[in-house]
Amino acid sequence: MRLPDENTPFSPPRGIDTPRELVEKLRGQIARLEQSRCPCDQASISSGCEGLDQLLPETGFRSGTLVEWLAEGDGAGAETLALIAARSACGSEGVLVVLDDAGQFYPPAALRLGLRQEQMILVHPADRPDFLWAMDQALRCPGVAAVLGRLEKLDGRTFRRWQLAAEQGGVLGLLVRPTSAGQEPSWADVRLLIEPRPSASKEGRRLKIQVLRSRGQTAGESIEVEVDDETHTMHLVARLDRSAIPPRATGA
Amino acid sequence: MVFFEIHRGSRRVVACSDRAKCLGVAAGMPLGEATALAEAGMVHLEPYDATADRRMLEKIAEGCRQFSPVVGLEDAPAPSSLLLDISGLGHLFGGEAALAERVVRGFHRRGLRVRIGVADTIGAAWAMAHFGQQQQEGGGSLFPYRPPTGLELPSDDKADTEKDSRPPFDDLPIEALRLPEATVDLLHQLGVFQVGQLALLPRNELNARFGPELLKRWDQALGRLAEPILAQPLPADFGVEQSIEYPTSRRETIEWILRQLIGQLSEMLLGGGRGVTRLSCRLACQAAGAVEFSLGMFQPTASSQHLFQLVQMRLERLALPAPVAAVSLRAALTAPLQQGQQELFLDRRETQRLRWLAALVDRLGSRLGHRAVVRPRLVSDAQPELAWHADPILENHPIKQLRRRQFSSTAPGELPPRPLRLVRRPVGLAAISIQPDGPPLHFEFCGRQHRIAATWGPERIETGWWRGRLVGRDYYRIETDAGRRFWLFRRLHDGRWFLHGMFE
Repeated sequence: MRLPDENTPFSPPRGIDTPRELVEKLRGQIARLEQSRCPCDQASISSGCEGLDQLLPETGFRSGTLVEWLAEGDGAGAETLALIAARSACGSEGVLVVLDDAGQFYPPAALRLGLRQEQMILVHPADRPDFLWAMDQALRCPGVAAVLGRLEKLDGRTFRRWQLAAEQGGVLGLLVRPTSAGQEPSWADVRLLIEPRPSASKEGRRLKIQVLRSRGQTAGESIEVEVDDETHTMHLVARLDRSAIPPRATGA
Repeated sequence: MVFFEIHRGSRRVVACSDRAKCLGVAAGMPLGEATALAEAGMVHLEPYDATADRRMLEKIAEGCRQFSPVVGLEDAPAPSSLLLDISGLGHLFGGEAALAERVVRGFHRRGLRVRIGVADTIGAAWAMAHFGQQQQEGGGSLFPYRPPTGLELPSDDKADTEKDSRPPFDDLPIEALRLPEATVDLLHQLGVFQVGQLALLPRNELNARFGPELLKRWDQALGRLAEPILAQPLPADFGVEQSIEYPTSRRETIEWILRQLIGQLSEMLLGGGRGVTRLSCRLACQAAGAVEFSLGMFQPTASSQHLFQLVQMRLERLALPAPVAAVSLRAALTAPLQQGQQELFLDRRETQRLRWLAALVDRLGSRLGHRAVVRPRLVSDAQPELAWHADPILENHPIKQLRRRQFSSTAPGELPPRPLRLVRRPVGLAAISIQPDGPPLHFEFCGRQHRIAATWGPERIETGWWRGRLVGRDYYRIETDAGRRFWLFRRLHDGRWFLHGMFE
């Protein structure tokens, strides 16, 4: 094969006028290739907030993908948002599998969010290998609508395996992780950073959501939402200025 | 819904739903008339499958063993009644009426309506169940109950005794005697409509005019002729075993033997139309006792591949103390395999979804243990840590529970606000509050200082003295100035503060 001479100036392929157009075209091709791997015949899953949906791939989460919810410290509210998404994914009949190795998950709170007890399967893995295996199995099962798990460290290989498992099963995987995970490569479709905010009223809870990664969308957008304490409905309070995001936020 | 069959060349209705009945459809009606009565497209027509019907009845009969050890199907070409021998069992359930009510509730839980008759003979009980006066109705289940025919009455009610001494089914229609249609028609032509009218006819002529069936059924109903219940056979014991001439520790060999045995067991189960719900495995080790384990299944299965996967998963985590000399497998619990008939009202997709879920739960339970795969169930208890119960899925026949109607659901709004994470043991806090009984101002948790900006509460939770250890707590939902939310309580008897949960 004859390699081009280093001194030969770069010429764009026929029909492409500028590098900008080339980049756009390639981006479109990548998006199409990625989409073909996902079971996109299903409707998108609402996050529970229209304002947030606008920032997500196909205006919502997609079945057969993973979503990361990053939050620092206790009582930050990330898991509530993940469960609201799980509620959307499950609908009236779907099953949610919750992996709880710490034994702290409190089902009455999840039931208050609108899930039903017959929709929930709670799994208590004894150790980390069991947790990783159980997550893989649950993501791979087409009978499950969503899987929720809380974990800190996750190596890239396992992450990739889970992504493929979710794709195979058509299951929405919801991973609640600390903010330190934001520096690691991700195989998730969406990565969101949740920060609690002081509430403006006693009826709702304010949370800031920053989109660190959203396949096919521009990352860096931030919004502030309020979750009603009684109805657990979520509404947009404000769109915030775009924030700078760490350069290693994406890996897939 | 209307079930029809082809009878003497024409299609006629065998059974129909309540909705169809409201439209005027009735059993025995020609199908054309039934479809004319019901508006087009309003009823679903389904050919009647007598075999599937019988199979389902046999399955229900098996479930009725919890009420009586002797359960059988009625002696008829197309049986539709179950016969339970409850002689001497009433006191175990608080009386025969209580037992009957329990049967009604049991059927109702399965979404089935039932009519029950209790009497000294099969014939009388059948008559009561089919034509007896309805005495009680609950949850769509009809329950006509009459005391046994030989019930002794107090001596001071002599007049009443004489009045009631005639069998209670004398007033019942002649059809109550389980007679062929032709005999009933003939009796009707002769003006005999009630059972009691038979006594007015010369007995020796009945046989000649109506055939032996009439006298036989009448005598059976009155107890003059014995009629046994043909009990359904108990499920067979399914077990396989293989000795190993040269004991081995090689996993591959043991797995190969297990695969062969599971194949044999699967064939046995399929032959009996049953699936295993609990499988016991025993590996006899040379001079070191035996290693035993059992596996529970989410739903009855006879799939050798699925069973082998579960056994293999368990075997991987098993330490064998010595070479294995014999392997045995036994289906400790079996149940009839799920049939298509059962899923009549579930679409194919839903059925497939249940199968996938069953396989997942089996795998999770096999590796993590039965108690690690649970379904939450709310319990009426004020103490938060006791307000729900983890029901191991593999021990509760949950395939039924996946259907919404099996559950009592609580509306989300009826539940009090609770944190998504509850710590196993409340964590003592160094908290400062201004008012003695008021919420704290700030506290320290996990080395971090939290200043409280908003509180909700108190919600007082106290338990009764009969619970042993008294629990008295004032719970507060609090939000820190950073927007984090926690669930704290003040212990009433000493005023100490604890963190019990996080609103994650």
